[in-house]
Amino acid sequence: MGAYIIRRLIAMAGMLVTLSVIVFLLFSVLPADPARLVCGKSCTPSIIKAINHKFGYDQPLAVQYKEFVQGIFVGRTYGEGKAAFDCHVPCLGYSFLRNEDVTTLIKDTLPITAQLALGGFVLWILVGVSIGIVAALKRGKWQDRTIMGAALVGYSFPSFFIALLLIFFVQIKFAVLGFHSYTSFFDSPAEWFKALVLPWIAVAMLYAAFYSRLTRNQMLETLGEDYIRTARAKGLRERTVIGKHGLRAGLTPIVTAAGLDLAGLLGGALIIEQVFALPGLGRLSVDSVTTSDLPVITGTVMVAAFFIILANLVVDLLYAVIDPRVRLA
Amino acid sequence: MGKAKIGLRSAAVVSLAAMALAACGGGSSGGSSGKSGNTPAGQPVKGGTLTMLSLNQEFTDLDPQRAYTGEDIAFLNAYMTRSLTAFKVSRDPKEQGTLVPDMATDTGTPANGGKDWSFTLRDGMKWEDGSPVTCEDVKYGVSRTFATDVITGGPTYAIQYLDIPSAKDGSSVYKGPYTTKGNDTAAYDKAVVCEGNKITFHLAKPVGDFNYTVTLGMGAVPKAADTAEKYTKKIVSNGPYKIQAYTKGNQMVLVRNENWSKDSDSYRPAYPDKIVVKFGLDQSVIDQRMIRDSGADQQAFMRESLLSSDLATVFNDPRYESRRVTNFSPYVIYRVINVEKVPDLKQRQAIAVAMDRAQLRQILGGKFAGDIADGVIKPNLAQDYAPSGMWTGLLGKTIPDSGDPEYAKQLIKDSGKPMPTITYSYSQNPDADKGAASIKSSLEKAGMKVKLNPIEASAYYTTIFDKSRATELMANGWGPDWPNASTVIPPLFTLKGGWDVGLVNDKAYNEKVAAALSETDRAKQATMWQDLNKEAMQQAWVVPTLFENDQRLAGSKVKSASGQNGQLYIGGSAGNWPYNDMYVQK
Repeated sequence: MGAYIIRRLIAMAGMLVTLSVIVFLLFSVLPADPARLVCGKSCTPSIIKAINHKFGYDQPLAVQYKEFVQGIFVGRTYGEGKAAFDCHVPCLGYSFLRNEDVTTLIKDTLPITAQLALGGFVLWILVGVSIGIVAALKRGKWQDRTIMGAALVGYSFPSFFIALLLIFFVQIKFAVLGFHSYTSFFDSPAEWFKALVLPWIAVAMLYAAFYSRLTRNQMLETLGEDYIRTARAKGLRERTVIGKHGLRAGLTPIVTAAGLDLAGLLGGALIIEQVFALPGLGRLSVDSVTTSDLPVITGTVMVAAFFIILANLVVDLLYAVIDPRVRLA
Repeated sequence: MGKAKIGLRSAAVVSLAAMALAACGGGSSGGSSGKSGNTPAGQPVKGGTLTMLSLNQEFTDLDPQRAYTGEDIAFLNAYMTRSLTAFKVSRDPKEQGTLVPDMATDTGTPANGGKDWSFTLRDGMKWEDGSPVTCEDVKYGVSRTFATDVITGGPTYAIQYLDIPSAKDGSSVYKGPYTTKGNDTAAYDKAVVCEGNKITFHLAKPVGDFNYTVTLGMGAVPKAADTAEKYTKKIVSNGPYKIQAYTKGNQMVLVRNENWSKDSDSYRPAYPDKIVVKFGLDQSVIDQRMIRDSGADQQAFMRESLLSSDLATVFNDPRYESRRVTNFSPYVIYRVINVEKVPDLKQRQAIAVAMDRAQLRQILGGKFAGDIADGVIKPNLAQDYAPSGMWTGLLGKTIPDSGDPEYAKQLIKDSGKPMPTITYSYSQNPDADKGAASIKSSLEKAGMKVKLNPIEASAYYTTIFDKSRATELMANGWGPDWPNASTVIPPLFTLKGGWDVGLVNDKAYNEKVAAALSETDRAKQATMWQDLNKEAMQQAWVVPTLFENDQRLAGSKVKSASGQNGQLYIGGSAGNWPYNDMYVQK
């Protein structure tokens, strides 16, 4: 197991390096000119030259990449004279449009996205898996048809539509919940909850619909297996048959999907953050794309990729824990 | 300022959201008369919390040397960053361009034919930490503009106007306060002089409206608190409010600056106790909150414009009459004709004559979008605007809004030369695509060959300012920096102006522009701008298409002391809210 994890971690590092090179190369062919974007209306060739020099855009791409990598491991200094400032390890670059280093921007936004993703994750797993099991056990009955019908509707709605419906009915029309800006849990747990409860529900509604269908299908498939019949024939209690044998075996694809979905959300819940005005990583990514903020795009792409790759590893490891039939090579 | 700001929202999200919300109804509790509440409308009261709802993630810049968005400048100037002079807060468009003293005791004294300008600072002004605001703080603030690799994105009038020599590469020999290597600090000290409370600017050439210039990018900054390019994240206030909390993408909270004194500021009544800006909201949600006007939202107002899908709801219903506003935005929309690629006057006029301006306006929203333009000076520059006559005879005959392809054909024939293929470049978005199709169609009716060149938004200005990639016809927009066409005509039609996309470089015109710039008689100067606007239109250097409008909605308890019966309005050259005297009705 240890050797397997080490091999996977090395592969993970290799993938991130490859990705960073690809992102750098892609940006080099983009038509956007960062210096022009920064210097605004009153641009002259000498101003553009000064800005390019300051951020190192006048260097060959290989040198720029080397400095980017150096920044991650040893930090780097931007500017000269009294205006010089340090970008500390791990320096993922500096946003010339936001006047902030990318690492700080990610540090500020990632926790908010993580709170959104984890809260939503808990809700959708609890709701989705539970109603999926109920639907499987009540196969063909009204409970099954109702749950699957609702899931189909939920799954068909785009996330922004669900989010806007929640805002309209809960916050505007019936004013059950006012409009609350994101507040740290440590500053005010109540405000924190009020700001996040609707985004959690919006995330959970979409995913719960999918997971209920997935769980139902997996359960039905598993419950039809010979070993389940054997377990029942041995006289095990139905709860044990379903919980210990049926659900556990059926969980493997659910864990795979959940891991990747959670990782995807950690990389930024773009639409939900946008609609609910949550200053998370997703919105940072969208804004950096619309403003051609290349250093931030690089940083957020790297972070999102890191989560996806890490989630793959965790999911693979969890297989062995959930299903003893799986052994890691 | 150029119309280059990119909206942050997803168009799909917004439009679908607007449809969804519109379908759900709304607007049941709106439409306060403006007379509800405990205080009479129009009678300002102190206290309360004003809330601004914004689509943007943050202020582009708080730094007084870098802020360059009209609405942001108006907000920051009203609450935190004072300038030597300011504009009168009034709902009368003509008064909106009137200068009043702010940090200075008067609106400035010119000498030496407009080459020297002096301002005396008021007594008793303080920074939020209690230290006095000095002449040296103003001088230091202005000096930061010269650090062009650090203080980026802001206006650079200080570099253009001050009497400081240029180096061989065209940059100033003074490089700002952050570097010593090869920096001619003495040149700056000679150009900007502090004598006690009096600051004097020595200019390279006479500038008749330099006292307007100091409203933009020439605010004070305390040297001890300057953090160079990071100053824009945490500024020190010398206005009536200071930042209590600011989280980009979330909110900013302003509270009273206890070191600000009314005795040192005759410009700001400072009515609310607190001002909150909520960032990053979806515009469709902002619209619906304002339409509903319930609870705390009665004390809120929107920073940006109503979505076009909500305009009919708001403007066709009398319940919103006291809360809705419409006026000119800062921008004129126009198409630039590249004079190097289309040097023939008749051919340029043919392009202007053939264009279907009515259809272009319809694409942008019809009557709500604005008025069909006849020049680059908008009517909200009240003193400088006069009809140019571009569509009523200036080009040889009256040109209908839908264009005159037959007359365009005649002009091409009169030119005696083959018409070049017209490549139209534009920053791509759905409306711009429709506009491009309309332009192609209308020019082709006049027998021209037209190619379309859509460009990704973030690369647009990089492309059109690159002479090798500029094309015959290019989309553009412009808004003045202050209420004087000195920030319209010179930037657009002189090579050194900064926004001369069409590469106009006419010696006689340049001389007339220089003369207008140095004219200190404002009325005379206004006439000169009107003539220059007319000449530019006659030369068909651009085809003006729209004087853009802006529509917004506010909560029923948000009022303006200068508004009629307290009603809010937007105005001035930046088309902004009257932040200075906004208050919360009890």
